[in-house]
Amino acid sequence: MSSRRESKLRAFGAKLRGFLRGRQGDGEFDEEVREHLQLLAERFEGQGMSREVAAAAARRQFGNTTLLQEDHKELQTFALIEGVWRDMKYALRALRKSRGFAAVSVATLGLGIGAATAIFSVVDNVVMSPFPYKGAGRMVFPRTHNTQQNNDDGRQGYTAREVLEFAEGNHVFDGITAAAEELVLYKQGEGAEQFYGAHVTPGTFEFFGMPALYGRVMQPSDYEPGAPPVFVMRYKTWIERFNGDLSVLNKTFVLSGTARTLIGIMPQRFGWYGADVYLPEKLTREAKAGFADASAYWFILGRLKPGVSTQQAEADLTVIAQRLAKIYPQDYPPHFNVLVNKLGDSVVGRVEATLYTVLAAVGLLLLIACSNVANLMLARATAREKEFALRAVLGASRARVVRLLMVESLALAMAGAMLGIFLAWAGLKSLVAAMPQDVIPAESVIELNGPVLTFTVCVAVLTALIFGLMPALQSSRRDLNDPLRDSVKGGTGGFRGRRLRDAVVVMEVALSLTLLIGAGLMMRSFVALREVRLGLRADHVFQAVLPLPEDRYKTVDQVTGFFRPLLARLQALPGVVDAAASSTLPPYTYAASKMEIAGKTQGEDWQTLFQHVSQGYFRVLRIEITKGRPFGEVEVNNGRKIAVVNETFVRRYLPNDNPIGQRLRLARLETSAESSDNAWFEIIGVAADVTNRGLQTPIEPEVWIPYTTTGSDARVLMVRASQEPGTLMNAVRQVVWATDSGVALAYPGTLEDRITAGLYAGPRFGLLLMTLFGGLGLILVTVGVYSVMAYSTTQKTHEIGIRMALGAEGGEVLGMVVRTGLRLVMAGMAAGIAVSLVLGRLIGEQLVGVTAYDPITLAATTLLLALTAAVACWIPARRAARVDPMVALRYE
Amino acid sequence: MVKVERMEDAMDAKKSEVLQGTLDLMILKTLHALGPLHGFGIARRIEQVSHDVLQLNEGTVYTSLLRLQQQGWIAAEWGTSENNRKAKFYSITKRGQKQLALETENWERIAGVIGRVLRLEEER
Repeated sequence: MSSRRESKLRAFGAKLRGFLRGRQGDGEFDEEVREHLQLLAERFEGQGMSREVAAAAARRQFGNTTLLQEDHKELQTFALIEGVWRDMKYALRALRKSRGFAAVSVATLGLGIGAATAIFSVVDNVVMSPFPYKGAGRMVFPRTHNTQQNNDDGRQGYTAREVLEFAEGNHVFDGITAAAEELVLYKQGEGAEQFYGAHVTPGTFEFFGMPALYGRVMQPSDYEPGAPPVFVMRYKTWIERFNGDLSVLNKTFVLSGTARTLIGIMPQRFGWYGADVYLPEKLTREAKAGFADASAYWFILGRLKPGVSTQQAEADLTVIAQRLAKIYPQDYPPHFNVLVNKLGDSVVGRVEATLYTVLAAVGLLLLIACSNVANLMLARATAREKEFALRAVLGASRARVVRLLMVESLALAMAGAMLGIFLAWAGLKSLVAAMPQDVIPAESVIELNGPVLTFTVCVAVLTALIFGLMPALQSSRRDLNDPLRDSVKGGTGGFRGRRLRDAVVVMEVALSLTLLIGAGLMMRSFVALREVRLGLRADHVFQAVLPLPEDRYKTVDQVTGFFRPLLARLQALPGVVDAAASSTLPPYTYAASKMEIAGKTQGEDWQTLFQHVSQGYFRVLRIEITKGRPFGEVEVNNGRKIAVVNETFVRRYLPNDNPIGQRLRLARLETSAESSDNAWFEIIGVAADVTNRGLQTPIEPEVWIPYTTTGSDARVLMVRASQEPGTLMNAVRQVVWATDSGVALAYPGTLEDRITAGLYAGPRFGLLLMTLFGGLGLILVTVGVYSVMAYSTTQKTHEIGIRMALGAEGGEVLGMVVRTGLRLVMAGMAAGIAVSLVLGRLIGEQLVGVTAYDPITLAATTLLLALTAAVACWIPARRAARVDPMVALRYE
Repeated sequence: MVKVERMEDAMDAKKSEVLQGTLDLMILKTLHALGPLHGFGIARRIEQVSHDVLQLNEGTVYTSLLRLQQQGWIAAEWGTSENNRKAKFYSITKRGQKQLALETENWERIAGVIGRVLRLEEER
């Protein structure tokens, strides 16, 4: 023979041609063979044989045509590819026949993949790595924590002097920035609009490692006092307020009285401090007395040097803070330390726990989905044992059978994966739409996470493959004759198969019950949350923030001169029941101060929250006054120093006295200019408790004083309407601009919306998700139990036939079948309850008004699952009981 | 899984390879000597020549024919046979002639060597 390589090459070329040509060659060959056989037969007939004998002799002489055709094919074309293609077509046909099985498997896989990927993408983007900044994982912010009060959040705002001390004296940061907020006003059309602005310190944009998208960021020279004023805008603001119009770049805007040039627009993911605009400011050590007099409060963010732990940072910063405490003792608690928190904590902290819970839930769902698929495949495999035995006898090698099964499993897995990817994409879109806005960091961009999608697809595909290939692995142990000859008396696919299936069902039930319990607990918690009385009526109230331009509103008279006519005009509007101004919006009050009561020994930690309000405040919010009276218009207008306190205040500080007539003073409000006599406020009334620290922290003592007694703290407007509060917006804006066109109406909306967003949106979102998963889990488990029961009763048909022939009633048979099924379910539920009790501790903290071991929830969910499982067992059982015994006995 | 015997069993493979090789040569020789023939004709000729010593299924001729076609040593064409039937006729190509000459030479050389070895044995 000529060189082997040459001949091999030619053979390959011929194969390729044959493969591409396809069927054509086959037909020709068949014809050739037929002709040959015909001629042979004729020859034998010529020798005297009869037609049939001749034909048989011809065939014998020719040899096995089938094998010949196979060899022919192998030479002619790429047998492997054609083989796989043929297997694929067979698999599709087989799947089409068992439509139910295919549909359920694909749906189950898709569901598991889709849910797991969507949720994990959210958690990853929101919790684990929402910030695109350089070294974001090492960014921390300090808070000064009062060590004598455990739940003290700590002070996060610092004076310029403190910032400079931290910045220059620390040994743990390789970069530091500070930001102070300002409600920036600018003229737009007939009146003023408002930006949420942040003053930032030099080096800020370098600290984050983000250059501008258009234009440039601020350079060191821009921060020098006396430099031409500039500012930088956030991407989102640019799109929303200016429609992404590039012509605004390098234009001049009058921001809070200063003409500034817009020099840059940041990329989409930059959202530091949630600000709309960033203004440069270089810090100097102010000579003023301290915190109470500071012109701005700065939030510090530092990046730890690589290798520095948070403990080291805390120790280092505490030393600096203690130095400062010696100079400004009134700004620090007697015993304190400085703690640091990671960047995401300030926003995400509240929702982090929920997200992790949901992540766990989704993991469970994926597990349930995979076990369902596993079970379905195992059951199907056992049903096809005969088929595989037959194939083996007909000459299929083990590899061949494995190939067939793999193609079938892959077909299912691929379909499931495609559905899963689609569900993940759609699910993510809906999640992002449903997610409460202010609960996630501004910088997070939630997208489908590639690696996770790959992971979930792999998990699902592997499950399908492993369990789909089981029959090929199992049958090697036995004599082929058994399945061929065997009717199903006594065998349900081998004892081992049965145990595996049962174990899978038990696990599914346990997982599903855990999910349901989780959902149930969150539901009860949410209901309890909703029922907490806030102490006020938020319906029909329109609210907005009114930032006053600083230059024109420095003194009490100036502020009063604005609000008095404003409130009067608002009250005169049609549709307005009442109007009030205050320094903060419920349900949170942030301002706190050390407090003293005349004639009482002040404890070290006597503190209270306080608000500045107008006389209409209690009426607008329908807050009940339980003792004394609220403010009157005249006294407020005269700036009389009176106060209303809440019941918690009375309980804590005046338990044995009549609060009316007592006098108190607030350390925060006092400036050195006032004489100490003038600083006392007289208590004239007691109000019912109003939630002031959110729903999960108990109500703290609070004091309300007239806004006319001190400086410019009144910033919020609330208007009670007789109709829909939203309709008031334009009217209110006109009135505000009529009173002063330089004041902007910021963040307008209804109070109800705001409270819902602030208090309920997060828990409601978590509840929605858990219920969704609980429901999905229940459906999946029901399908799983049903399919296993249906399968095993089919296997037992023979046995049932015998029983019935021997006299068993339909009802007895039913009972027997259902009992077997329920035993599995019971085992699963017991395991599920055990698991839930263990996991319960983890979600315990998020629950309001209910413990993680709540018996009502446990009982209700167990009952629900038991009922569903019972139905799933009952349907196939009923079918089994109605079978005609004669048919059953003959059934194989 | 029961292992059904197939021709790809190791020992059989070698045997059948040699067998197929010989068959290929015989077909080439036949076509060279008798000119274009259809499959049936080739089988009859081989049956004659080998005096029924070579016991093989006639069908294997077609496998050889396909291989020879793929290597380009024979060419095929549809035509009409003696009794007016449609049949595929095979003929040897120039390359096939060359291959036949090469193979014949090979065989004769081997035969010669073996002959000499055997005679050596005898002379001992």
